[in-house]
Amino acid sequence: MQCANMLLRKIARSSVLPFAAQHGMKKDLFPLSRTLSLSLCLKQDKSCEPSEKLDLDEWKKVMKSSLQEEVSETVSEPKELSGLAAARETFEMWKLAGKAVPENISEEQLKTFMECPSKSAKKKYLRYLHLKELHKKNDKRKMDEKKERRLEAQDQASNTDETKKSPFVCLWSSTMDKAYNWRAAQSMIFGQPLVFDMSYEKEMSLREVTNTVRQIVMSESCNRRSVDPFHIHFCNFKDGSLYHREFIKNYKEAWGKLLITVTDQCYTEIFPKDKLIYLTADSPKVMKTFDHDKIYIVGSMVDKSIKTGVSLARAKRLGLETAALPLEKYLLWSSGAKNLTLDQMMHILLTLKDTADWKKALEFVPKRKYCGFVNKPVKELKKTLDLITTLKLGKRREEVEKQFAKKH
Amino acid sequence: VQPPEKPLQAEEWNKLREDFQIPEIFEEVMLNSMIRCNSPIDVAKSLLTHLAKRNGDIAYNVLVKYLTLCVQQGQVSEIRDVYDIMKVRFKVLESGAYNLLIKGLSNSDQWKMAFTLLEEVKKIMIPSRTCYESCVKAASRHQEMKLAFELYKEMLAKDVVPTLDLLQSFFNLSRGMKDAELQKELFGVLLYLRENQIYPHKTFMRSIKLWFESIPGGNWRGRLTNIKDSGQCPVCKHQLEDSNLTEEEYSNLSERIITDVIHGTDTFRKTSPEEFEAFQTFVENRLPFDIVIDGLNVSHIKSRKMQCENLFDAVNCLAKENARLLVLGRKHMLMNSSNWKREIMKEMQDKADFFFAENISEDDTFLLYATLRSGKHCRFVTRDFLRDHKACLSDSLTRHLFRKWQRGHQISKKKSFSSVFSQQPAFRYDCVVQTTGDTWHIPYKDVFEEKYSYQVPRKWLCVQQK
Repeated sequence: MQCANMLLRKIARSSVLPFAAQHGMKKDLFPLSRTLSLSLCLKQDKSCEPSEKLDLDEWKKVMKSSLQEEVSETVSEPKELSGLAAARETFEMWKLAGKAVPENISEEQLKTFMECPSKSAKKKYLRYLHLKELHKKNDKRKMDEKKERRLEAQDQASNTDETKKSPFVCLWSSTMDKAYNWRAAQSMIFGQPLVFDMSYEKEMSLREVTNTVRQIVMSESCNRRSVDPFHIHFCNFKDGSLYHREFIKNYKEAWGKLLITVTDQCYTEIFPKDKLIYLTADSPKVMKTFDHDKIYIVGSMVDKSIKTGVSLARAKRLGLETAALPLEKYLLWSSGAKNLTLDQMMHILLTLKDTADWKKALEFVPKRKYCGFVNKPVKELKKTLDLITTLKLGKRREEVEKQFAKKH
Repeated sequence: VQPPEKPLQAEEWNKLREDFQIPEIFEEVMLNSMIRCNSPIDVAKSLLTHLAKRNGDIAYNVLVKYLTLCVQQGQVSEIRDVYDIMKVRFKVLESGAYNLLIKGLSNSDQWKMAFTLLEEVKKIMIPSRTCYESCVKAASRHQEMKLAFELYKEMLAKDVVPTLDLLQSFFNLSRGMKDAELQKELFGVLLYLRENQIYPHKTFMRSIKLWFESIPGGNWRGRLTNIKDSGQCPVCKHQLEDSNLTEEEYSNLSERIITDVIHGTDTFRKTSPEEFEAFQTFVENRLPFDIVIDGLNVSHIKSRKMQCENLFDAVNCLAKENARLLVLGRKHMLMNSSNWKREIMKEMQDKADFFFAENISEDDTFLLYATLRSGKHCRFVTRDFLRDHKACLSDSLTRHLFRKWQRGHQISKKKSFSSVFSQQPAFRYDCVVQTTGDTWHIPYKDVFEEKYSYQVPRKWLCVQQK
């Protein structure tokens, strides 16, 4: 309500005032004697000395005069602000001050904003909302453009000729879905299990849980589309947990029809212990080959502030074997943490399962994190690199010495 | 863009605006460059006038930019006018505008107005440290020391950390004043430095010295000095405070190390319950040790040498004085390898007690536990700064205790003596601001920049009352 009021005021001011100021019409619009006299002398000023004299404080008069009508309004409003109203007020002020804030904010978001513990947390949260809004807008714009192009293309197509004849009815997506589901169903009977450990809710913030679920959804979809899918297990899954809530948000009614196993049991209760391997970047053991008889466990955790050893601790507690991907062995690592996203893990594991080719599998590691792929172990490569640099340096030193000798 | 030198007419502004690439942000960009070039205020005014005439309104962010320019040039009446306009126009302001207003007004003869503004800010948020700083400085500049200290205490109570600059201004501005109450307050500031282990920089130290010497009838005399390793001040022959923790502090720290560092959120992250228990019984059976050695860390001292040789040198060097040694290592050290020869390991185990942790456990945590458990005389050897362990402690008070204990008990290798294993003695005296009533000893930094948290200054100011 307040917001709307402000907007209205703004519109009124910006559309009417310049006009009013120019033509000295203030009197009719705002029956206040002071403003009237001011705008009148403004006009006179202009008429007698067209370009020489400038009233530098004129802006103050304009600002103050346009305020008169507001003063009477605001006085009646209660001065003390509380809770949400205050948060809304700061939000509006930040917006006016040109900080990175979203254009619109919902009540719920405002509450989260209010509950942020520090000013910097507040700033970060609004910035995040702002970026999200921008992305959404961009996506929408692109969609619209695409739609337009498609309509145009359709127009052209209908103009040129009749529809082509084809032996198949065009039902791509639903047939594909059926085929995928058939495969996934088969994997639930014969496929190799892959476990997502859903016991990390306590270690994560709300946003990290949201990201985790998003990544799992992507993993599940790429698993479904693969030639030979895993049989996905969600273990330690509690009904009504944050995970659960987020999954329902993502899948909606499809959540009940997913071809995966969801259980609140631990993987140690379902599978024999000696077959389980916990995948974690902190593991001292490096995976050499993909074993088709083992059951790999992936921790469903996104840790934005990297918490070392959390999943390793979990495996240690249960006495499970652990393994890390051989990233160092095959990639010349440049920067970034060694923990990968869940969907990247899924891509890598699927490729390994199908091809056993590390090079192909590790292509799913983000390119920014490494400089290149190596066939030899990195250690050996480093040795030769060192040798080359020392040789180079040695040569250079000789050259320098030669030059030095020549000069003297 | 280059701001114009003289106020422009509306038409001229219009023309400039049209020539600008993105006319929507023309005013902002122009004002920014005015702030940068410190343009005359009249130019900015003419821009605002043009804006007001065109839109009938001036946006908040533009007003703030103009305010910045006014504050920069100390245009008090302008600041007041802008404030009047803003106050009526907006219900509340955001912190940026308040900061500017308070800063601008506190530097003028209207400084009292800054205080009313500060009160206004308090209604909606915790004022920023710059707000407080401006007000406190303004009050002390006008000899209202009581008011200044009231505000200072208020800001401490709200967990707003004062800048060194602010603290320094207290000393600068109360120079030569004879006032027992004031003197007490300033001693309080020095104790604040002590409690938070803050070291003043050189110019700050000079302010403190000058203040002490200026107290009428105080007979204080300050001199710069270096404290000997024994902890005696060469100027006044006073012995500095011991670096040992009190009984209470000591037990507090040991407890917190076990709960926060070793167990943390999950004991399995650094060790396992079985292993920790095994280690505990191992230590209890052999207590107390004199020196605890981080085997793996020491074994990397010289890269040319075999790792077990490095460790061997260290153990030999430290074992001389009949000290009871404990070496912490990992199980892989027991495997006969190119770096770890079984015979040498055997020989060492006669001279010292060894505990081998699992290869994936963290041995540093055991180091801390064994040293603390052995008692106050026990020291430890490692080159590690133990920053990650300090970070595991949850509150700053315990972190300070940890640093103090570490300074007093850690032996590390000096780089200059690379041929022999030699040890840098742990500090015997405590490196904080300290007093005995008629003397003050204040460590200070030579450089203005922050030093590393494990470093302590070696230079001191000794103030003595004759």
